[in-house]
Amino acid sequence: MASEIVSSQQSSAAPLPREQAKPSPFFHTPPATEADALAILHLKRDSLLPITLRATADDGYAEGAVTNTRFGSFPHSTLIGLDWGSQVRASKVDTGTRGRKGKQKQQRDQDQDDSNAAAGCADGSTKKRKSDEASLTDDISGAPAKKLKQLADGTQQLPTAAKAPIEAGSGFVHILPPTPESWTSSLDHRTQVVYTPDYSYILQRLRVRPGSAIIEAGAGSGSFTHAAARAVYNGYPGSSTSKKRKLGKVYSYEYHEPRVQTLRQEIHDHGLDSIVELTHRDVCNEGFETPEAPSPPKADAIFLDLPAPWLALKHLTRSSPGSPLNPSAAVHLCTFSPCIEQVISTVSFLRKNNWTEINMFEIQHKRLDVRRERVGLKEEGLRGVNASAATVDEAVQRLREVETKLSDFHANKDVANGRTSGKEKKIQSKAERLEKIRQDVEGRKLYKEGNLVQRTEPEVKTHTSYLVFAILPGAWTEVDEQACAEKWPVGDVMAGKAENGGGKSGRQRSSSGGISLI
Amino acid sequence: MSSIHSHIRPNTFLFLRLPSDILKLLEILPNTIIEVGKLGSFPSNLLLGRPYYHTYEIRAKRDGEAYSRLRIVPPGELNADIVAEDATPSESRGEPATPSVNGQSQAYDVVSEDGTVVVKNNRLTIDDASRQALSQQEIEELKKSSGGNEVIEKILANHAGLDEKTSFSKAKYTLRKTKKYLKRFTVLPMDLGNVIEYVMAKEAPRIMELREETSGLMMAWGNVHAVVEDEVPPTNDGRRVGAGRWLVHDETGGLLVAAMAERMGILYVDVEEEEAQQASEEVKATEAPEAGLLQPTDGALENAPPYGTSAPTSHNDFPLPASTNTITLLHPAVQPNLSLMKYFGYDTNQPNPVHPMHTHLKPLSWLQLLHPDLDATYREPEKVSDAELRTYKSGKRSTHYKKLRRWSRCKAIVDETREGGFDGLVIAANMDPATILPHTIPLIRGGGTVVVYSSTPEPLIRILDLYSKDRRTAYISHLSRGEIPDSEDFPVDPRLLLAPTVQSTRARAWQVLPGRTHPVMTSRGGAEGYVLSARRVMPVEGGVEARGNYGGRGKRKADALVGGVSDAGADAAA
Repeated sequence: MASEIVSSQQSSAAPLPREQAKPSPFFHTPPATEADALAILHLKRDSLLPITLRATADDGYAEGAVTNTRFGSFPHSTLIGLDWGSQVRASKVDTGTRGRKGKQKQQRDQDQDDSNAAAGCADGSTKKRKSDEASLTDDISGAPAKKLKQLADGTQQLPTAAKAPIEAGSGFVHILPPTPESWTSSLDHRTQVVYTPDYSYILQRLRVRPGSAIIEAGAGSGSFTHAAARAVYNGYPGSSTSKKRKLGKVYSYEYHEPRVQTLRQEIHDHGLDSIVELTHRDVCNEGFETPEAPSPPKADAIFLDLPAPWLALKHLTRSSPGSPLNPSAAVHLCTFSPCIEQVISTVSFLRKNNWTEINMFEIQHKRLDVRRERVGLKEEGLRGVNASAATVDEAVQRLREVETKLSDFHANKDVANGRTSGKEKKIQSKAERLEKIRQDVEGRKLYKEGNLVQRTEPEVKTHTSYLVFAILPGAWTEVDEQACAEKWPVGDVMAGKAENGGGKSGRQRSSSGGISLI
Repeated sequence: MSSIHSHIRPNTFLFLRLPSDILKLLEILPNTIIEVGKLGSFPSNLLLGRPYYHTYEIRAKRDGEAYSRLRIVPPGELNADIVAEDATPSESRGEPATPSVNGQSQAYDVVSEDGTVVVKNNRLTIDDASRQALSQQEIEELKKSSGGNEVIEKILANHAGLDEKTSFSKAKYTLRKTKKYLKRFTVLPMDLGNVIEYVMAKEAPRIMELREETSGLMMAWGNVHAVVEDEVPPTNDGRRVGAGRWLVHDETGGLLVAAMAERMGILYVDVEEEEAQQASEEVKATEAPEAGLLQPTDGALENAPPYGTSAPTSHNDFPLPASTNTITLLHPAVQPNLSLMKYFGYDTNQPNPVHPMHTHLKPLSWLQLLHPDLDATYREPEKVSDAELRTYKSGKRSTHYKKLRRWSRCKAIVDETREGGFDGLVIAANMDPATILPHTIPLIRGGGTVVVYSSTPEPLIRILDLYSKDRRTAYISHLSRGEIPDSEDFPVDPRLLLAPTVQSTRARAWQVLPGRTHPVMTSRGGAEGYVLSARRVMPVEGGVEARGNYGGRGKRKADALVGGVSDAGADAAA
């Protein structure tokens, strides 16, 4: 839902052929935000919104391009030219009338603007009952079709001149440069997403380094694609320093046509065209060989997020002529399957087809919820606390108060309208007590009171998928062995003539002679 | 780059995985003997040039030869037992394996005398050593005369109760004997995962019990990646912001630095460059046949780096640091502790000038960061006039130049670090990270990543508390009243980190065998390992009022979070 706003914006801008020089914002961002840059708006924890900053308006706002969130409206003119990471205040933007009445170009006057802003930016008092997600962006983004239509109309009516935005009294976001992590948590879920705890471990175990070639099938929503692109990146083709070294590349396959289209657009928009090669193909049936490609991938690592990885694995051998695997080095494999039956079949296939170092893992990840827990009678009536007695002493104290109150009450009744003023002062009614607590709280340093405690966050992903790792060692033939034996002869050693630590100062040798065993 | 681990190269460190699953670390030098405990010994030349990840078997000694030769065990042979056991090939049908009739695989069953199928169990198992017909002496004899495979076969054949065993216990028995008698090992390259496994088994506290999955998570949240120099467009105003520079405090003996260097492509020596160097070495070797193998033994080269006989040339000892794709390492002692880096060919005492870390690693001490004026290295050496310099003896003169080079390198590093603009901050510290952050967070660029590792959660929880929403609110209200917030209550500026999160990850290993798939029974305990991740942000001056559109579900959540510190900045001020 959140990224609909972006995808529609992006599709509305015609995919221009991007100049090669433009670096991906995922690898390097200039000091300040610029127009046409991809940025992530951090609304609150786990609520991120990717946007493309636009210098020109295309959707009919007086302020130019505007992004609306549950924390206010943000004209892009207030977002461009800032240091990355800046906190940005919301602006007063007429969302209400424009959003609802849509296409008619309205002559807004300032009064209407303000009143609508107050109504549109739901502050605490206007408790709109919306679902969490729908309220992320304002109502116009709720219906994508409608939004697209508006956009189409918007482009026709060129804005006269962007109005200078006026700061709203409350609401803010932070503007962050994109990372694969922020992209993963903000992207549009087209399929089950491979999350950071999983992909970070997978890329680590696959030994993916700058310059590696990795095959990924299927690409799905593209979260792994972005992380893999970051891992292999060591330069764009055609730049001066990249001539001699092998450049890292992600060979990505996906068989679902609409997903390919969306991902291809994203890859293009993110400046990753030369790093990620996306192919629309069913690798289980058609394999990985690309006759039209200039050279086979020569993959060092493979990641398979497929329902039946073993069907794709039969195409990943060194024996076929156009083999996609690196011919000289070991190939690392990871398959990502949610069910144990898939794992059993995959492992069985791997064992029969000369893969080694076969291991299976599952990642258990949790986040901690940290807070200060305040317990005690002095917290009575406050929110988010436990207002029961904190200690035995406190409980006894309260019990004694109750006792005294009771006996005083009876005593007072006996005396009946007599000279009771002194005692009555001592007896505090509940309302008075609560009022006193409320007053006291102003002077208290609540941020360092109570116990600092941690617990696991309310929602835990207890199972994502099983990860099967395997290695296909480099091929080794008799010919190779012959050549190697000639290069590293052992004749002398075998005849017992080798110096065994003798004749040398024993550089880096252990006392047992031979090579150092540390 | 990626081909560095395709074949075993001389003078590198590598691991042997022994049948007991223990890793053995060794440096492989040409023309030496490798001794692998009771497995035997063999010449190192038999491994050189061979591929990694293969399993090698130590063969029986040939007559007249002093050592054993090796054989590469084909992968098919390694898995043969399990494959044979796995009777139901399911992948050909394109569907997951299904258990056979009645949910019981044939392997469980045995047909009794009257023809009924009974499930094997361990009810009648006899726990007695006498069931093995071979005596220990006989086994010893056997070991001398035949290969590991034959020994195991004989032992299995001579076990009286083998047929009574369930397939589970039979498999376990076979595995135990295999581990004991098979003279095999697998050669693994020097990479991060293997180093972690190795150190974790031997002295885990040395790397703060930083597990592989945790290291991976840190690298992801730290957004650690390569930045290519000429693809960083120059900034107009000379600000040094975001050029792939990371600030690090590492007390894991260099493991963290190695992990980052791996992601940045500066952990390994460029293979081609090294090969070029070796080629020139070989030329030398042919010119002087003896010298190629036996290095000079004078003291200067005693600990020479393994990448060539040439001593570092005088101008390479204190090179000016690279400007992009660098790791700036803050160290608490006079010298950084990067002992693990030597396994990757970089020894801080004798840096190899070809190694990328030589220019891409920028160490500086905490003293140099906070009080550079008190540091002797940072102080400019006394100026010496040319005339005076000419009167120096050559030794003194070179010392002078060396001092100058050391000073200019140190000055470049310190000044650049104090300027800030780092892409990220990565910390693994035994010292309280809360004392590190006030000095380092301001040096990180806006939007930069901050990652802190701790083996226990408590230090990170304290940090979260220092950046809690309540504390931030109080801090801002102090500021808005024109007060200077109390440094005891606010050791850090709580506005500078966005959404700090503490997380922990653990990879749980499973055993996958036909009919016997389950999580492994035991694994390493110890520290869980926690990672704090956050983004550095730039607060608006004067503070802002939060707002939120809460209704329905949102409202309930807001209530639940009141008093919580894990809340993000934009949340409703409830």
